Amino acid sequence: MSDMGTAAGPLGALKSRMPKFLHKVDPAVATAFACIVLLLIVGSIYSTSFLSPEYLLQQLKVASFLGVIATGMMLVILLGQIDLSVPWTVATGAMMASAAAAFGPTGVVLAIPFGILCGAAIGTVNGIGVAYLRIPSMIITLATNAVAQGLMVVYTGGFSPQDSASAAMRWMATGVLIPGVPNAVIVWAIIGAATVFVLTRTTFGRSVYAIGNRERAAYLSGVDTRRVVLIAFAVSGGLSAFGGVLLAGYASKAAQSMGDPYLLPAIAAVVLGGTSILGGRGSYLGTVAGVILITLLQSILSVMQMPEAGRQITYGVVIVAMLLLYGRSPATRA
Amino acid sequence: MDAASSGAATLFRMEGVSKRYGGVRALEEADLAVHPGRIHAILGENGAGKSTLIKVMSGVVAPDAGTMTLDGRPVTFASPAEANRAGIVCIFQELSLIPDLSVADNIVISDPPKRFGMIDRRAQRRIAEQALARAGASDIHPSALVKDLPLSRRQMVEIAKALARNPRILILDEATSALTASDVKKVFDVLKRLRSEGLALLYISHRMHEIAELADECTVFRNGRKIATYEAGTKSDAEVIELMIGREYHNVFPPKAVPAADAAPMLECRNLNWADRLNDISFTVRAGEVVGLGGLDGQGQRELLLALFGVLRGLGGEMLVDGRPVSLKSPAHASSDKVGMALIPEDRKTEGLMLPMTVRENLAFAAMDKVSRRGVIDRAAESRLIDEMIKLLAIRTAGTDIPVGALSGGNQQKVVIAKWLMRQPRIILLNDPTRGIDVGTKQEIYQLLRRLADAGAAIVFYSTDYDELIGCCDRVLVLYDGAIKRELVGDEITEHALIASALNIGMSEAAEMTGAKP
Repeated sequence: MSDMGTAAGPLGALKSRMPKFLHKVDPAVATAFACIVLLLIVGSIYSTSFLSPEYLLQQLKVASFLGVIATGMMLVILLGQIDLSVPWTVATGAMMASAAAAFGPTGVVLAIPFGILCGAAIGTVNGIGVAYLRIPSMIITLATNAVAQGLMVVYTGGFSPQDSASAAMRWMATGVLIPGVPNAVIVWAIIGAATVFVLTRTTFGRSVYAIGNRERAAYLSGVDTRRVVLIAFAVSGGLSAFGGVLLAGYASKAAQSMGDPYLLPAIAAVVLGGTSILGGRGSYLGTVAGVILITLLQSILSVMQMPEAGRQITYGVVIVAMLLLYGRSPATRA
Repeated sequence: MDAASSGAATLFRMEGVSKRYGGVRALEEADLAVHPGRIHAILGENGAGKSTLIKVMSGVVAPDAGTMTLDGRPVTFASPAEANRAGIVCIFQELSLIPDLSVADNIVISDPPKRFGMIDRRAQRRIAEQALARAGASDIHPSALVKDLPLSRRQMVEIAKALARNPRILILDEATSALTASDVKKVFDVLKRLRSEGLALLYISHRMHEIAELADECTVFRNGRKIATYEAGTKSDAEVIELMIGREYHNVFPPKAVPAADAAPMLECRNLNWADRLNDISFTVRAGEVVGLGGLDGQGQRELLLALFGVLRGLGGEMLVDGRPVSLKSPAHASSDKVGMALIPEDRKTEGLMLPMTVRENLAFAAMDKVSRRGVIDRAAESRLIDEMIKLLAIRTAGTDIPVGALSGGNQQKVVIAKWLMRQPRIILLNDPTRGIDVGTKQEIYQLLRRLADAGAAIVFYSTDYDELIGCCDRVLVLYDGAIKRELVGDEITEHALIASALNIGMSEAAEMTGAKP
């Protein structure tokens, strides 16, 4: 066995022929972007307006809600865990922010941070359960989701909530600060940039990847793994709630079960973007691609005027097909 | 094959069998003949090739070369199930029972009796009762859950499970290591009865007394080769140990420093206890000293290192670092600058490294606080420190941004050591750091250990390789059953003394053996 690296396999030979800037691109991310292009081509066959800037910007705006939620989901999936409390964390964020907005001028100012804080609290409970009590994340997050749902039903009395979103919430979701770019997209871009920085340049980010790869090795290396897991879940909860705040601003008010359509797409977006569902591997660029891909897919299916049942079936089948195509992690190196 | 010359009594024969794992020769040109109605003991040090031999025989791994014959006919086994059908059944060291199933369920698990496509519970119970009776354990109820049985009873179920498959050759790999003395006696009675029934038994054990009582013939392995086969009782313990150690393997070890007896103790343990794995362990390590942990595999050495590093919960006893009592809560605490400890773990693939992550990320991982400010990594400072370490340990890598899994085993191990040296630890714990790496890298590691000790570090070094303990250590603590049985200092550290203490043979016998050394 040679002492030099054994990286140069057939894949290595292929890589050396590609232009240099492509070396670092994950094949999964490249595939996701290729699928986006393919969807746009298919869509433009149906309607030429598919390639118009207005339509694309509108899609980007819709995508940014999912993008914010998927960012938190990605953090948790990188750890090798999952956050199934997304639906009612989204709803809690939306409802609590709207509720705060009804409490006079102070409430209006604090509406957004309050909503996010409520989500972070749910996430913290998840994090304590997973990191300290060693409850499988699939169970604890499902449980907190149910509890959050119960609390919200108690709060609203089971009816659709009456408070409306504050002006700031509406502005953030639908306003336009920079001409041509919806504010929601800017919000997503800022969160995305911060996430890229945290994942690639900080000790926290390194620890997240390390725990996802080998929690035991990370722990024995002197990393406080439980703290990292706790923080990741808290951030995930906060970002889900923030997604809810944006959605409430978009629709002017919160609604029961408004978060339901965001759980599967958030997980699918992360995994389609090349992040290993087992944790430890993945880039934020991939998640961006996954989010756009999912949003375009949903949009095209509705533009095709397929009946709801058919749309759901097609949506699910396409996601499974894409995962079969490249979502499974390749065999690991020696 | 020369079936004629092998004699009619030979049931199973293996000739020229070799097996490699990567670059490691686990078994080389091994021969073995097994006869019905006899107990054949296999002896050898850790890593001598005994386990590989058994795995080849029982179909767990396929040999690279060589032939096996059963009843004079050549056989190959693609799986353990095939070996079972041919009549070769193995009882492995680790218990293979499923705790939440009943005894009967476990006994027939691989081939339950069926009726109309469903498991025939009555037949299953009958089979289990017969097997248990044959194993001399008819006191165990077939419908009891395995998890409710004590460890020694479970081992009896394990034997019953093997017997239910009607073996012609029964292999026992360290099958008594979990048993108490009275249970061992029961198992021996069963084994002797099985022998009289005409079964061939292959018995692997580290316990010399057991082998002396049971075996009809013995085969010694060393470094993957068969060294000798002899009739039991024809060789003394000293001669057997001589065969097990061999004389051909010697490494270049750096000279040991003159021990400074007045140096202050850096690490001190008083009466450490943990579950039933560590019993009353007390010792001190001074600055500049390399203290070895010896003994057979699995006598508490790993637990001791983990306990020192703050991994184990519920540790009893006292620990002092630099004379001050400490209570370490976690590896993060143990490796903090205040304590300054480092642990090179046992398995670099699962405990030491994140294989898919880059060399850079792995190297910097334990010392991230040294190259970051407020949690933000300073890439330039990181690169400087990493390059320094790569040079210091002569790590051969095609860059720092390739996955560490692409490096050779020896270089991976260097990365594990380097990542800890970046913290400049004062107390270094090593858990068998040279396992599975090439001789050249081993020697570099020995030199490095001595350099670190000379620079004032206190080193605790567990190795399964006796040569290393002799060559590297100023003192060796020999563990047996979770307790320190003997402390060897300086010239007392010899192969004979190490093995004798590891096997817990009496001091007089040990002295006799040391005297018998040529």
